[in-house]
Amino acid sequence: MSLEGWVPQINDYTSLREVVDYAFDYRGNTTIVKRDGRELVGYIFNRDADAPEPFLQFFDEQGEGPFTLAYADIATIKFTGKDTAAGNSWRAWVERKEKERALKAAAAGAGQLGRDPRPDGG
Amino acid sequence: MSVPVSQMATVTSYVVKQKLRGRKRYPLVLMLEPLFRCNLACAGCGKIQYPAQILKKHLTVEQCLRAVEECGAPIVSIPGGEPLMYPDIDKLVVELVKRRKYIYLCTNAILLKEKLDLFTPSKYLTFSVHMDGLREEHDEAVCRDGVFDQAVDGIKEALQRGFRVTTNTTLFDGASPLRMREFFDEMMTLGVEGMMLSPGYSYSKAPDQEHFLRESRTHQLFSGILSNPKRRWKFNQSPLFLRFLMGKKDFECTPWGNPTFNMFGWQRPCYLLQEGYAATFQELMDGTRWENYGKKSGNEKCRDCMVHCGYEATAVDHTFSSLKGFAETVAVTLTGKL
Repeated sequence: MSLEGWVPQINDYTSLREVVDYAFDYRGNTTIVKRDGRELVGYIFNRDADAPEPFLQFFDEQGEGPFTLAYADIATIKFTGKDTAAGNSWRAWVERKEKERALKAAAAGAGQLGRDPRPDGG
Repeated sequence: MSVPVSQMATVTSYVVKQKLRGRKRYPLVLMLEPLFRCNLACAGCGKIQYPAQILKKHLTVEQCLRAVEECGAPIVSIPGGEPLMYPDIDKLVVELVKRRKYIYLCTNAILLKEKLDLFTPSKYLTFSVHMDGLREEHDEAVCRDGVFDQAVDGIKEALQRGFRVTTNTTLFDGASPLRMREFFDEMMTLGVEGMMLSPGYSYSKAPDQEHFLRESRTHQLFSGILSNPKRRWKFNQSPLFLRFLMGKKDFECTPWGNPTFNMFGWQRPCYLLQEGYAATFQELMDGTRWENYGKKSGNEKCRDCMVHCGYEATAVDHTFSSLKGFAETVAVTLTGKL
């Protein structure tokens, strides 16, 4: 399941630390909403929640960076960019291939059914 | 074994020096990723699953060389992305050769023929061509028809011009041992210097029994492929690692053995897991909680892993840790019996 489109609310049930972890694992751009209301769009590639002053790092939409931002300055993170990993797992590929093969086999079988089983067709 | 004597001597002296210095954790192969861009889109490849602005970026040669100096490993593997798409790949290779680093340029070989003029044959430079089996298996693995034939053309041309060429093959569950043996024959007939094998990385939250079964299947697969190896087959990797894959040896992971550097920094903890980045190599070595990784740690993500980037360094270290390990490596190398 992809997190694309998720706009989490930081509250008693969802902590900022958790949301940053999800954003770190997310293979798309996100929009970081700062406490002062400003928004920064980019790809979050690193975070350290155990540092004396927890921080995350990102490259912006233009690829500039890296920029570092303290957790203390973040209100929330919106999962606004396309999830480039969605549907692209090895397992998904194998399942697609198996379906293709099954369809081909079924089509070949249907072809055989329509054909006259006698060797000379006569 | 097909590793040239000079390369073996370099690695041996490096490892012995580390041992004499009492260095418990040392890198063996730097995995240098100058870019994530690739001309293939293989299913499940995490290296290309980034937004466009990240795929457009690449490291500078200076950043690459700084990482090489910081790390100090005698071997530099250049994966990616596709390194032949890196605009400064020729300059990077020249600089690495100057520093006497043994380079494995890991390529899908689609661009190999076209780009060969950029390089000069050297004992330090090897094109390590990604080949996941015979035509049918390889083209399916890379999700595009015709890539096997392009790679074979590239290999032939590179060999003809005097370059060192090896192959690297990732095997997943369900591979046919018979087809793999045919593949080895075909690669040796092509004239490659040696082949490298590794199981693919798999991770799932599963009960103990399922983990055990997966490990058994890996042992079964590699035993099926490597039992009674033909004399003409040459492998460009530690024979003890191959014995480990066959279930004849039990090793623990060495996650710091193949440290990874890319545009995000030094990847924690290893080439496969991305749990964060350190700004310097020293920070990676000192600040990573290594006890949280490897089979013994109980980490779910490590339990099914038998991949070369974690275990080949263990096999090499084992060779130089005891007379027994050394004798075993020599015996397997000389007899060719795994």
